[in-house]
Amino acid sequence: MAKARAIIKRLKAVRNVRKITRTMELVATARFKKAMDRATQAAAYTRKISEIVSDLSNTDQEKGGAFTHPLLQQHPAEKKSILLVITSNRGLCGGYNGGVLRLAQGRIRQAKADQLPLEIEVSGKRGIGFFKFQKIETTASYTHFEDKPSFEEVDVLARRFVQLFVSGEIDRLDVSYTKFETMSRQKSVIETLLPIGKLTTAESEKTGPKVEYEFLPSPREILEELVPASFKARLYKCFLDAAVSEQIARMVAMKSATDNADEMIRTIRAQYNRARQSQITSELSEIIGGAAALE
Amino acid sequence: MAGGDKLRLIVVTPERTLLDEPVAALRFPLYDGDIGILPGRIPLVGRLGTGELRITAAAGATSYFIDGGFAQVLGSTVTLLTNRAVPSKEISAADAEKQLAEVLARVAKTDEETTAKQVDQQRARKMLNLAQKSNS
Repeated sequence: MAKARAIIKRLKAVRNVRKITRTMELVATARFKKAMDRATQAAAYTRKISEIVSDLSNTDQEKGGAFTHPLLQQHPAEKKSILLVITSNRGLCGGYNGGVLRLAQGRIRQAKADQLPLEIEVSGKRGIGFFKFQKIETTASYTHFEDKPSFEEVDVLARRFVQLFVSGEIDRLDVSYTKFETMSRQKSVIETLLPIGKLTTAESEKTGPKVEYEFLPSPREILEELVPASFKARLYKCFLDAAVSEQIARMVAMKSATDNADEMIRTIRAQYNRARQSQITSELSEIIGGAAALE
Repeated sequence: MAGGDKLRLIVVTPERTLLDEPVAALRFPLYDGDIGILPGRIPLVGRLGTGELRITAAAGATSYFIDGGFAQVLGSTVTLLTNRAVPSKEISAADAEKQLAEVLARVAKTDEETTAKQVDQQRARKMLNLAQKSNS
């Protein structure tokens, strides 16, 4: 039986840990709410863009001209591509980073097997550390995307990707991040952002009554601007999704850590009571034994 | 059209919905010049330029600086999608001046750089104008 003192020490340590995890859970909950608000607000922009796109493509098809844009075009041979891995800056968020990095690693291995050059860009300290440990070279790394990525920051990246893609230096851009599906479901995914596969989303395709718009300038010229804007919105959404998912993952991880600590405190306390009891018993029997010897 | 605010103006930036309010009339820059919108306009989709968005409502006139994007007019709803929208009062002339000086000092060598420089220069000038106007 362990000493009662030692058990108390352990009990205190577990209690301290519980305090920390509980606080982190609350902080993550607050941050999640903020991130979620931001994501919903940003969704309005994406929705509106795809609405305009579908308005435009409706009229464009009528004129019989399929629209092409450098960003929509699949390059004939896929050679060089970029993989952007979005991870978190901080740890203690369960399997959040692990899931993203595992997928990214799969993609890297595949590129290696196909002998295609692949540049890796990482956002988040966790990912940077991982690739350093794995001795995989990364071309760029960012740590400034915290839980509130701003559009301006993402815009810088987006512009560079667009420029690289249009000039033909890269043929594909993949983003590996955690997609936010519902409150209780987030999935790590790899998505191909360039070339843009389809501009319209499923929901925007079934538009209501058709409206005759006046276009200033021509639909074609508007689309030319709209395609990059749509790409930027998508990239931005990746970052927002990742931020929301990170907070959820941390919330869940910290919740189970707190529960676990509670459980542990209970067992340790039972252990302590037993130890204390047996200590008293042995002391008593010593005293009785001593008294008996004196008689 | 005096009296009622018959248009609904929605200004959306990638980060959030900035405005969603009834207005009487508004004026904003398209790619080639300013356009004014009054209630009852036919549907329109257009590319925005850089410059001032002027809103006239029952509560008074307000002004924003917007930077590129798209406009959609459908029925009585006007939606502006823009990369950036800043209330004119919050633009400081000193900052705009600094930006302009920076752009002017830039040396453009290729065609793309020249266009980029021109665009930036125009943006800085418009910002400066707006800042001076709203502060005076």
